[in-house]
Amino acid sequence: MLYRETGQFKISYAADQSVFPISQDRWFVSVVIAVAFFVVPVLASEYLLQAVMIPLLIFSLAAIGLNLLVGYAGQLSLGTGGFMAVGAYMTYKLTTAFPDINIIIVFLLAGLIAAFVGLIFGIPSLRIKGFYLAVATLASQFFLLWMFNKVAWFYNYNSSGTITAPPREMFGVIITGPMASAEIRYLVTLCIVIIFAFIAKNLVRGRLGRSWMAVRDMDIAAEIIGIRPFQTKLIAFAVSSFYCGLSGAMMVFLWLGSAETEAFSINESFNVLFMIIIGGLGSILGSFLGATFIVGLPILLTNAPQMVGLSMPIDMQKHIEIMLFGSLIIFFLIVEPHGLARLWQILKEKLRLWPFPY
Amino acid sequence: MEIINFLNLVFVAPIEDMVFYPIFFTEVVISGLLTGIMYSLVALGFVLIFKASGVFNFAQGAMVLFAALNLVGFIEQGFPIWLALVLAIVVMIILAFLIERFMLRYLINQEDIILFMATIGLTFFLQGFGEMLWGSNVKPLDLGIPNQSFEVGGVLLNEFDLFAAGSGAILVGVLAVFFHYTRIGRALRAVADDHQAAMAVGIPLKTIWIIVWSVAGFVGLVAGIMWGAKSGVQFSLSLIALKALPVLILGGFTSVPGAIVGGLIIGVGEKIAEIYWGPLVGGAIENWFAYVLALAFLLFRPQGLFGERIIERV
Amino acid sequence: MINKQADQQFAIDVSEVESVFLQGEYKEVLLDIAEVSLAFGGVQALSDVSFDIYKGEIRAIIGPNGAGKSSMLNVINGFYHPQKGTITYKEEVRKKMSPHKAASQGISRTFQNIALFKGMTTLDNIMTGRILKMRKGLFWQALYWGPARNEEIINREIAEQVIDFLEIEAIRKTPVGKLPYGLQKRVELGRALASKPDLLLLDEPMAGMNVEEKEDMCRFILDVNEEFGTTIALIEHDMGVVMDLADRIVVLNYGCKIADGTPEDIRSNQGVIDAYLGVSKNK
Repeated sequence: MLYRETGQFKISYAADQSVFPISQDRWFVSVVIAVAFFVVPVLASEYLLQAVMIPLLIFSLAAIGLNLLVGYAGQLSLGTGGFMAVGAYMTYKLTTAFPDINIIIVFLLAGLIAAFVGLIFGIPSLRIKGFYLAVATLASQFFLLWMFNKVAWFYNYNSSGTITAPPREMFGVIITGPMASAEIRYLVTLCIVIIFAFIAKNLVRGRLGRSWMAVRDMDIAAEIIGIRPFQTKLIAFAVSSFYCGLSGAMMVFLWLGSAETEAFSINESFNVLFMIIIGGLGSILGSFLGATFIVGLPILLTNAPQMVGLSMPIDMQKHIEIMLFGSLIIFFLIVEPHGLARLWQILKEKLRLWPFPY
Repeated sequence: MEIINFLNLVFVAPIEDMVFYPIFFTEVVISGLLTGIMYSLVALGFVLIFKASGVFNFAQGAMVLFAALNLVGFIEQGFPIWLALVLAIVVMIILAFLIERFMLRYLINQEDIILFMATIGLTFFLQGFGEMLWGSNVKPLDLGIPNQSFEVGGVLLNEFDLFAAGSGAILVGVLAVFFHYTRIGRALRAVADDHQAAMAVGIPLKTIWIIVWSVAGFVGLVAGIMWGAKSGVQFSLSLIALKALPVLILGGFTSVPGAIVGGLIIGVGEKIAEIYWGPLVGGAIENWFAYVLALAFLLFRPQGLFGERIIERV
Repeated sequence: MINKQADQQFAIDVSEVESVFLQGEYKEVLLDIAEVSLAFGGVQALSDVSFDIYKGEIRAIIGPNGAGKSSMLNVINGFYHPQKGTITYKEEVRKKMSPHKAASQGISRTFQNIALFKGMTTLDNIMTGRILKMRKGLFWQALYWGPARNEEIINREIAEQVIDFLEIEAIRKTPVGKLPYGLQKRVELGRALASKPDLLLLDEPMAGMNVEEKEDMCRFILDVNEEFGTTIALIEHDMGVVMDLADRIVVLNYGCKIADGTPEDIRSNQGVIDAYLGVSKNK
């Protein structure tokens, strides 16, 4: 009953095509965004912001990027970590070389470079599909990480091999580096993520999104209609890598403060892939939900024993965490292979009737 | 001058090295071949499961690790080697049963990527479980396999490596015969082609799957023994699963001889690249060479050396 | 019933076609296939097949299974490239077509085993039919407000006209994977029509349909031909439908053309009867 659509009809195509056609959705999202902007920074502790909210947003962006490529365009990729690394390292190089350029601009430039790299590594998709493509993307993952490790130019020849975010400011406020407060970093991250999530939504509801989905569903038929599959796939790689690169840059500059190549290893690639599988392939909302799940779960598992009063040796805890993680993934895939986004939809369907039984 | 120097370093010097020091080159090749056999053993497990259930089992590497951990664990508990081996095999069969009961049965009709993801979940589970049971230290594995080095025509060989190669060859032979000439083998191939059609003609899917995953578990155990005896049983064994992927690319996902040939090519290629070109770029080429090689291969032959040509009809 | 709005929209197209419609002596050739041979994997799918299609007519291609009918359509589309022969479309002679060129020059088709995009809704599928007409680039797409949205709305209108025409308003937002077979076929026709094609290739559009569905589909095909003047090449096995709908028929057997003419010619052609229509036991 809460979620009734009756009485809401659209009298123009523009209204029908809007992002949130149902007014309850609009309300809900507005409230969430308002809370995110005004309530969270005030009420949340530093720990909550640093350990949960910021990485959640950053990984949501990466998940959106990968979802565009895998969920919408149907190109399986295991190279997410590599492209995130490109964004991070290129931001580092650019901002240390040109410290006066606004850091956000640098992020975007690094994202463009990541897009270009993604484009190059997407070329094999012309001939290769499915799992084979996934293995090909592994080549990009391992090669890029090796390159960032070996070629000292990327980390400015410093001895530790790590890249560190230098302090940068915008509008007089320091937003990166050790002096930047968690609240500020959180707000900057939130703005960037909301803008680019909106852009992603625009892309997928228009011509480009349809081309991607057509290539995903049946690329032969798509070609016969006039879609150019190769170009469409390449654009998917480029856009997806842009998002991943941007999130990688944000990871180092707005969250961790510094990083080595380990932070972008194959584990991260799998993590992001899990996020979109569990969250829901082909769904922007799903990317957010999946990221919440994957970022939140280890934290929950780490803190839960204390909360319940149990204490366990650390390595036992770690093993159980890994086991639980694996089982939950399998469980999820069995119960709802279309992810949390579908569960959310089902919930909304139920809300149509509740509290009435039928 | 710089350019000539560069060209010399990259193209001429390594070849010169190979030609002027043939004995060393042979040793590198042999070392590569032997590593290749190890990769093949792991890839074999993949191929079996993929051939028979259409599932791309990412957890193969974790199964190798799990099997080896169990074996070492049993030996440490004081069981004689033969009993430990039997127990380890029994555990893998039980594992196959559990996997079918709690995972495969529910995912039978889902798309490939869902099954693939589920096997990644399985990987995590097996890793955590194995390490929880037996601890995460590196464990040495001594099975009494002879380990003497000896020379043949000036080239240094090792009994252990030959033993590994031999076992691999025998295993492949047995499996190849099994698939092609037995009734069960035919049933396995039917299931790989189309689950529902196979069910429709009365092939007992569950039993087939348990058989296949058990055999893959056994192959994993053999691989685990070989790897473990060489470098100790440890977590990084499961990362070998990733290395097996380029092997599968080269050899095709459904070909048993392909897994062998692919493994050998990758093993040799990797070794040669690392020894002769590695020093030029700071080493660790092994991290990515196999994948780039597979990628290059895919561009020319998308279905691998032995895989089936995919013809798409509209 | 076709609503007035669709009538207005396409009024221009119809009057253009009228001047070269079949009533007059002048018959313009839209597509000419000359001695096309196609082989793949050791199978000779087509051998020296030649025929033409006049503008505005309904041309049926019939023959036993495996005769090469779908291959012929695939050649016209550019999905297969013939080893020999030429394809002349709109007076441009080609050795082979490319799918993209075919689509942009007004060739649309449906498929034997429905090739809809199962993950998308009916509306989205039909909108993909308009893809070649939507030109706004990445930047405008990302922004959405402004030129990209206007483009969406314009093309949405045309898609809606197709939806009206085919009477599938009720399933507009349903993912096509959930639709019954007959409706899927109709949606596929809609996608092909969305691009306002000059030449429409239909590969067994009535396969698997019951009598009512077939009658509906026939009605749509006739309407498309008469109202919009679209030339149609039709592969079909139901002889009743073929004889009723087609202006002319080509008969293929084992990749060779064995007859070419009006339905009356074909009905009485001995070769066709032996190969295909069947010989009655009592002569």
